[in-house]
Amino acid sequence: MANTVIGSSIIIDGEITGDEDLVVQGTVKGKIQLKESLYVEASGKVEADIETQNTEVSGEVTGNITASDKVELKTQCRVIGDIKAPRILIADGASFKGNVDMDV
Amino acid sequence: MVDSAQSTVVGPSILVNGNLQGDEDLLVLGRVEGSINLTKTINIAESGIVKAEITVRNAVVSGVVVGNITASDSVEITEAGRMVGDIRAPRVIIVDGARFRGAVDMGDMEAPRASAPLPARTTDRPAMAKSVKAAIPASTSKASTPTPPPMAKAVPVAKKPMPPPPPPRKAEPPPRAAEPVAVPVAANKKLKKKVVVKKKPG
Amino acid sequence: MSDTACVIGKGIQIRGNLSGSGDLVVEGRLEGHVALEDHIIVEEGGTVVADIETRELTLNGKMSGNINANERVSISSSATVMGDIRAPRVVIEDGARFRGNIEMEVPLPDNI
Repeated sequence: MANTVIGSSIIIDGEITGDEDLVVQGTVKGKIQLKESLYVEASGKVEADIETQNTEVSGEVTGNITASDKVELKTQCRVIGDIKAPRILIADGASFKGNVDMDV
Repeated sequence: MVDSAQSTVVGPSILVNGNLQGDEDLLVLGRVEGSINLTKTINIAESGIVKAEITVRNAVVSGVVVGNITASDSVEITEAGRMVGDIRAPRVIIVDGARFRGAVDMGDMEAPRASAPLPARTTDRPAMAKSVKAAIPASTSKASTPTPPPMAKAVPVAKKPMPPPPPPRKAEPPPRAAEPVAVPVAANKKLKKKVVVKKKPG
Repeated sequence: MSDTACVIGKGIQIRGNLSGSGDLVVEGRLEGHVALEDHIIVEEGGTVVADIETRELTLNGKMSGNINANERVSISSSATVMGDIRAPRVVIEDGARFRGNIEMEVPLPDNI
């Protein structure tokens, strides 16, 4: 399994770039730039600007999210920042503060 | 979704640039630059490239590492591993085929020293009596035993200068040693210089 | 080892320069400078305090000094070695004690 996982005890302060899916269970501060999907799991904390194809948040994100396809805010998530994507889903129970731009 | 709770993987196409710290194992298939601080094991796979200061408990290097590794337990460079940098760890394993350039410090150790004068029984021999080191008085009694007097204790953390060089040559080496095959001692001194990263294609 | 190996036995101490061809086994104590063209083995219990130039060196005992080998240096788990090593192949077994520099050719990727 070559999926990239940032485990729950891991703290990364810097930049993550790549062409594959990224699962964040720990903490990432800085910047995330992916050509694939980002999953911020319930234990995950991201303080970073995010650029991906898809972003799915169940944990915490502070920063702007830009996705070329879809951003999904799951129930129980906490997101502070602006979201820009053609498709945006916000589940019941998600906390979100920021602007939404679907490029209409 | 992934449920492997206690293992972090940096996939083959991923670049992490910055500081990474944590209390779990890390498998690097991609690239990490900056610094890595773990209380567990870092495993740098053959495809992995790490250009960082690494502080871990254990490190297994099968890929490329440019930077220093400090491990509280062990560092292993496997057959495919390539590393340029210094290693500080109580256990260091370098497997045949591994490539490494840098210093190794395993902490306290007792290495043999040049002996003081030989015991009375042997100094009677004319050839032995000529030894230039016959003037050094200390540790005479230990000179003949295979176990030498201990070296000065090294502080495991601090960078220590190299131990005193072996005894100076008493005479010019015989003709054979002077041939180009033999590298003079002076060339060895270069080894003590700081590691310089040289790029090599491939 | 070839039949012509020179053995420095357990009770023997040698000080001075050693040069020539042929294998050498050190079970005793050797001090000075060694330039040999073949394989040197320092056995467990053997002690070498010398700069060594050789083709291949196997260390099971104690040694301090710089090593220049044009083939291989092998430090086994029972060895204690202090000094700098230059060789194309260097092997350190688990349990070995070593302090010093190691210099091998390290081919690195271009993008490092």
